[in-house]
Amino acid sequence: MNSKHQFLFIFLWLIAIAIPAQDSLFLITEKKDFYAGDTISLSFKNKSNTSSYQLFCTNSYGSTLITPDKNEDILIFNIPQFISNKTGILHWKLIGNNQNISGKLSITSYRKPTSLETYIGPPTIEAGGIDYAMIIVIPTDSLDNPIPENSKVDVKRQFLQSENKQTILTKDLIGYLNIFSPTPSGRMLISTESYELNSKEYTLDILPAIGKNFKVFHERDHKYADGNQITTLYTSIIRDKNNNVVSDGTFVDFFITNQDGNILNTSGTTIRGIATASIIHPDCEATWNIKAFIDGIANSDVLQISYAKVIHKIPVKFSEDNRIITVGPLISFMEQMIPDGLQIELSMYKEGKFLNKIVEQSKDGFTTFKINPNIYKSGNYEIQITSACNTKIYKSIKLW
Amino acid sequence: MVNNTKIRVNTNRKILRIVLMLSYVLISSVVIFLLSSLYSFFNIGAERAKILHTEVKKEDQYLPKIIWKQDGNEGREMDEQVLNNIENDYLDAWYIKQMAYRNNSIEGVDDYFTESARKNLFNFIDYNKKENIHLESTTLEHNPDVLFFSEDGQLIVLEDKDVVQYKKVLKSNEVLLETTEKSSYKMILLAEDGFWRIRHLVKENTKEVNEIILPSSIDLSTIKGINYYPQDTPWTMFGDKFDSKIIAKDFQIIKDANLNTIRIFIPYEEFGKAKVKEDKLKKLTQVLDLAEKSGLGVIVTLFDFYGNYDTTDWTLNHRHAETIVTKLKDHNAILAWDVKNEPNLDFKSRGKQQVISWLEHLIILIKSIDKNHPVTIGWSNAESASILKDKVDFISFHYYEDYKNFEAAYDKIKEEAPNKGIVLGEFGTSSYSGFWKPFQNSKKKQLTYHKEMQKVLTLRGIPFISWTLYDFNTVPKQVVGKLPWRVQPQKRFGFIDVKGNKKPSFEHISK
Repeated sequence: MNSKHQFLFIFLWLIAIAIPAQDSLFLITEKKDFYAGDTISLSFKNKSNTSSYQLFCTNSYGSTLITPDKNEDILIFNIPQFISNKTGILHWKLIGNNQNISGKLSITSYRKPTSLETYIGPPTIEAGGIDYAMIIVIPTDSLDNPIPENSKVDVKRQFLQSENKQTILTKDLIGYLNIFSPTPSGRMLISTESYELNSKEYTLDILPAIGKNFKVFHERDHKYADGNQITTLYTSIIRDKNNNVVSDGTFVDFFITNQDGNILNTSGTTIRGIATASIIHPDCEATWNIKAFIDGIANSDVLQISYAKVIHKIPVKFSEDNRIITVGPLISFMEQMIPDGLQIELSMYKEGKFLNKIVEQSKDGFTTFKINPNIYKSGNYEIQITSACNTKIYKSIKLW
Repeated sequence: MVNNTKIRVNTNRKILRIVLMLSYVLISSVVIFLLSSLYSFFNIGAERAKILHTEVKKEDQYLPKIIWKQDGNEGREMDEQVLNNIENDYLDAWYIKQMAYRNNSIEGVDDYFTESARKNLFNFIDYNKKENIHLESTTLEHNPDVLFFSEDGQLIVLEDKDVVQYKKVLKSNEVLLETTEKSSYKMILLAEDGFWRIRHLVKENTKEVNEIILPSSIDLSTIKGINYYPQDTPWTMFGDKFDSKIIAKDFQIIKDANLNTIRIFIPYEEFGKAKVKEDKLKKLTQVLDLAEKSGLGVIVTLFDFYGNYDTTDWTLNHRHAETIVTKLKDHNAILAWDVKNEPNLDFKSRGKQQVISWLEHLIILIKSIDKNHPVTIGWSNAESASILKDKVDFISFHYYEDYKNFEAAYDKIKEEAPNKGIVLGEFGTSSYSGFWKPFQNSKKKQLTYHKEMQKVLTLRGIPFISWTLYDFNTVPKQVVGKLPWRVQPQKRFGFIDVKGNKKPSFEHISK
């Protein structure tokens, strides 16, 4: 090889080096994996003097441009802290240069949570092992990033005498566990722990399930239909299928069917499983069939109770042109005067046509009706007097 | 005297009476008005529905393509209603975020990001504001998948894979970067106050995309065509005066003149923008059916009379093109898609790069839907013809200059893009010679023009589509403006005059 060729070779070789070197930038920073919160800077070797470069930078939340610091022939791009604080892929691209220089950095978080965002829902579930609540834990690091997948989270719970701990692994940013209800009702306390960080205490109320069929009873002071005393109806202790007493406040409807097929209704709510309801005695002889319902859920068997007649006769006296009608004395079961408030009805008819009904209540065993002469002119009237299911009929009473 | 006074007194009394009555009426009406205002004031309250955010008015402003991967999820079963709510709020979150970065304002961010998450956005906004950086961005495609839905219905984990994101970065109002990224995200959303809000957002992967578009092959050499509008309804072909009989007759004329192709235009707004109107599509299909019957191929030019190109408009444009292309891609009459007529005319007002990016993403979209038909752009001159030459399947350009220079212009394009088919998408000359342009044109000159052009076209085997079949009585002002010296010649480009007689140039309509 003669010298001419050698020179040519060296010349070409120099060109070959010079061409890429001329406008080239080399990334010096080699590290590609960082932890959130690290100070990240990308350095480029810059042979040329131009420094009008910008670094396009995009992470999970947004994008921006970064202006470099120039240090002799090195360009340094300092990634702002608010970007390096967030986990995810950080994509960067150098602008202001013909070469396509770009890259990706991966920012992960330390497996060192500083907060356990915990959600439990629903807050109340039904006892019996079918219903469940879900606990979701988002362990986050000090910079509010979810910690890496497959991090351990312990779910601890206490219920009655038992305490236990179950370990779950995070996946897709969260960890979750279904907590199925135990058979007894009560209150469960739950907390979570992840890498020595403990959450606060959460409560989960295990409510009794819906009630099962029950019995209904009654209590009364006497058996007479005096329209005055009160009969109390009450249920047996209503329990769910797991023998838990149903929740206080469960609404119970008592339906009473009397001998004529009419329906009376009263209701009550449970306390410690027992619902009570009161109803006033009827004022005439009656037989009641009582059945209680928790609407759509459970019902009782039928209870039958009877009330005995108390008033056997109604003494009636006409005076003052027959316009004052005195009813009484009304005698009760022990020959005592009937308590005040018994209802007495007086119906007036003329020539078979109903005119009016006057209703009064007894006082001291008596009631007085006054027939107003301005309304009821002199003449013959039919008068019916009814009380405690007894009716007395006076076919033709002459009023003056 | 006495009489006069009496009359005067009478008149005065009458006047007084009238004034009193009128003032009484006036006062009463004022009082009634006040009372009624008071009444209505106490009877107008806030709509109860507003408490629940159920009635948020939704306008189409952001409609990226969204395909849910419905393969079930962990936790509670997802139902349609909830998924709909999530989709709405999730897309709104993207839109709000894009607007926030575009204007560096925090408006609306509170509604779609939880208190801890929104700080991350505010950091970017503060920094960008300080550095005078603005980001114009949009997303074109989402592939979300619900990974987890909590039992109480208050939390979901969502994965959104391959989100196609277009970004334009401006610093001090100068565009520094334009890029399209495909990224995958995982996120946690919480239901708060009736909104699904983003709590955590983690980008799992990202890459820059430079979509490689596969060319579709087509034999262009046989194209002999004409730009078509019916004579009575130029530029409003699909309007109320749409008449399929006239169109059928015209197609027969075109066919008999030995042409095999027509080029038609779809006005963007008239067709209903993002929600394409069914009746317009029906008319368009009718036109294609007629063309098929007459044995004509159709080049459909989209986005006529559209000129915004703004990034925020892209998703709407994409839905428009998607609907039309999806509906018609299997129609036998379709020959090719022309994305936009003469977009280079908007370079000055909308920014060249913006328009080009807009075109590029539309080509990608159209080709992703219709893999069989070629896509082109109807550049208005030979100089612009080679823009995006690697993205279109064939180049088409319009030529209204002197016919003597045509071959040179064509050769220049051929040199810039030696491997691409080139179609002359529009050419022609006006035969108008009247008050506004005397002595310049004539029917005879038009004849010469077409004769000479056809000579070159035949010799070189250049496919052509001429302008246009008819002389028109009216030209809408959106086409060439209102100036009569521009409007009048525009009416006389046809091969057939307003009376329906063939002009001399008709002889050279196809040869």
